[in-house]
Amino acid sequence: MSSLESTETKRFGISITPENKPIVIASGFVLVILAIGTGYTLATQGTATLLSPTYLLQQLQVGSFLGIVAAGMMLVILLGHIDLSVPWTVAASAMMATAVGGPAAIPVGLTVGLTVGLVNGFGVAYLRIPSMIFTLGVNAVMRGLMVAHTGGFAPQTAATDLMQWLAVGKVLGIPVAILVWAAVSVGMTVLLSRSAVGKSIYMIGNREAAAYLAGIPTRRVIVAAFALCGMASGLAGTLLAGYSTKAYQGMGDAYLLPAIAAVVIGGTHILGGRGRYLGTVVGVILVVLLNSVLSIMQLPEAGRQVIYGCVIILMLLVYGRGQKVTQ
Amino acid sequence: MRNENEQIASKPGKPTSHQLPHVVLTGISKRYGGVTALDTVDFACSRGSIHAVLGENGAGKSTLIKIMSGVVQPDAGQMSIAGQPVVFPNPASANAAGVICIFQELSLMPDLTVADNISIADPPRRFGLIDSRAQRRRAEEVLASIGCEDVNPLSRIRDLPLSRRQMVEIGKALTKNPSVLILDEATSALTAADVEKVFDILHRLRDQGLSILTISHRMHEIEAIADMCSVFRNGRHIETFVEGTRTNTEIVQMMIGREITAHFPPKHERPPDDPSAAPVLETRGLNWEGRLTDINLTVRRGEIVGLGGLDGQGQKELLLGLAGVLKSVSGEILINGKKTSVSSPEAAKAEGAEIALIPEDRKTEGLMLGMSIADNLTAASLGRYSRFQILDSAAVTEAVRSGIERMRIKVGSPEDPVSTLSGGNQQKVVIAKWLLTEPKIILLNDPTRGIDVGTKQEIYRLLRELADNGASILFYSTDYEELIGCCDRVDVMYDGRIVRELVGDEINEHEIIASALNIEGGEVPDFLAGSDGQGGAV
Repeated sequence: MSSLESTETKRFGISITPENKPIVIASGFVLVILAIGTGYTLATQGTATLLSPTYLLQQLQVGSFLGIVAAGMMLVILLGHIDLSVPWTVAASAMMATAVGGPAAIPVGLTVGLTVGLVNGFGVAYLRIPSMIFTLGVNAVMRGLMVAHTGGFAPQTAATDLMQWLAVGKVLGIPVAILVWAAVSVGMTVLLSRSAVGKSIYMIGNREAAAYLAGIPTRRVIVAAFALCGMASGLAGTLLAGYSTKAYQGMGDAYLLPAIAAVVIGGTHILGGRGRYLGTVVGVILVVLLNSVLSIMQLPEAGRQVIYGCVIILMLLVYGRGQKVTQ
Repeated sequence: MRNENEQIASKPGKPTSHQLPHVVLTGISKRYGGVTALDTVDFACSRGSIHAVLGENGAGKSTLIKIMSGVVQPDAGQMSIAGQPVVFPNPASANAAGVICIFQELSLMPDLTVADNISIADPPRRFGLIDSRAQRRRAEEVLASIGCEDVNPLSRIRDLPLSRRQMVEIGKALTKNPSVLILDEATSALTAADVEKVFDILHRLRDQGLSILTISHRMHEIEAIADMCSVFRNGRHIETFVEGTRTNTEIVQMMIGREITAHFPPKHERPPDDPSAAPVLETRGLNWEGRLTDINLTVRRGEIVGLGGLDGQGQKELLLGLAGVLKSVSGEILINGKKTSVSSPEAAKAEGAEIALIPEDRKTEGLMLGMSIADNLTAASLGRYSRFQILDSAAVTEAVRSGIERMRIKVGSPEDPVSTLSGGNQQKVVIAKWLLTEPKIILLNDPTRGIDVGTKQEIYRLLRELADNGASILFYSTDYEELIGCCDRVDVMYDGRIVRELVGDEINEHEIIASALNIEGGEVPDFLAGSDGQGGAV
């Protein structure tokens, strides 16, 4: 029966498997957001600003920081874990990168992220502390360390030129940040669909006991995923510092929940084991566009938050219902 | 306590047949998928009697008591208590009717206190809130009534030893005022002294007119306590008789029956101690946390060694220990004569050990149900297809193809979720997954449980073929027919030890069952003499 279905869908060129369904829905919703926003601008200003390449590229550029964080977050969520240390990993990487400065800035930023990720992975895989608690604790520790480092004031150091170029520079009219995100995305795709580690991540998220009994080095894979997630946060922090030319307290706060939302909207199961990277990309675009359109429509902040939250819940309801029916 | 007018109280006493049966089941049937667990069973038990239910694993005993206690519903048949027809849609309604079951798996909450647990279903209330003082008093009373004054009602279950927990469980059942008390291997975790105590309690309860149903695999306990015995086999009620009127040999015969349903590939005649076949796997004095005691076994090249015995005598632990899953196993494991430490399943499949473990529960341990057939097939052997961590997709496709072909797995597309396959085909995926690692030693934990006859035969053929090609196979099965048909030798386990090794013609139903019950094979007259310490009596 299932073989019949797959040949059926192949004939039409699109296969809407349970795996792909959230991606299709989310993509559709991205178009709906664009349409509503365009309708609004046409009605009020008579222009279709939202469809201009400038606007779209600008949104993608803003989205790349979130996209990089979400890529790392996705690895951890696929395992059935979560990384709540993202906000201060981002901030710490940015602060340390700007503090060191010079050619070492970017490596230092990445190393800070990697270190935090390794600590997280060690705590979760070897100490067996639930990731929700452990990473929350690590986040608090990082904040404390950074307050101690800066004395509680905004650091006076500035981002290096290379950091700024990576964040706001352009190559052939395309923001470099987007290219960085694209490179991360290529890496993620290869990792998740072409590598043994990627397969192992899905297996652990599906059923850790079965993966362990199959001889998968489950602990090392968990550490690796957290390390990559930390590094992604470090990269995002370094870029963000370049974007705003400096590091500041709380600069990562706006990335934790949207990153989780983007991953889940993209169809990754919050309990792990299922999800495609393409979905996360679509999820990031959706979150960024939704925010942007809501602010273009000049809704008050309160209304924006309510709509933003409702959209996320609504999308998950749609996915959840679909899955129950297919099982 | 025993009045003359209650002849039921004296044991072995008169048969209670002239008494009206209290619980009556007529024509009860229950199927799980394709498996018939109970086949139009008629069964009755009376007040004031202790009724033992005997049978092999899978004979339908557990299903019987689950139906009686409302855990599962029968597909057909009626049940009546004291002449009134009853239907139990859930355990609560069975409890309300006075049927209380003490299950094999303890049902206590480890982090609550003894008093909390005893009153968990219906705590005493005061102003709508739980009256903890009354709750403690109730717990004290019931614990005193079963001779467990030493248990503090305020201690947490977690802090009690297993035998005390079991006593609390019994106490909890008694607070519900049962008229029918069912014990599913309730003595399995008890020490000899506690068993005595429980028997005293049960005798007292019987004399108070309760109807007590007990499942136990310990023959000497049944002799000590039961008034009536019923034997089940393959979901059918074979016979009910007054305890003491049948010999153990007859009982074992009833449990075995005479039904040969499977065909097995021929075994090879080989001298029992062929010196040319050095042991591939050898253990010396393996111990683990009291669940495995002094395990010495050898598996030679090309040999299938069976692990027999009743469920839960340490066979699973032994296999897990050999596959590196258990921590702190003491003793030596020798592979090809070399002392090898297998610290994890990852190490077990590495070169030098090359052990594969086909786990017991394919849904939780063998498969990633949410993933595709292809992903599951390659799960254990991923390292073989990757270079610098990147998978060679041609090699993966080829491995998947060969796995499917080798095991003749019926699949639509390898990309379909493995959960769409039938049980037998799922099990083939699990086995194929391990064959792709080309193991030298294969450990199987009851690989044919719950799968169809056709697939079973394929698995038997495959095992023999693998052995002929040089693999060493250790095969645990709860189905003694498989052990007889497949194995060159059978080690029977009881209470964490290998109590008997059967070779050649000794591998027959009678010897396997007798060893599994840890009674002497052959005529079995008088084993009761040394029945105090169970286990290791050989």
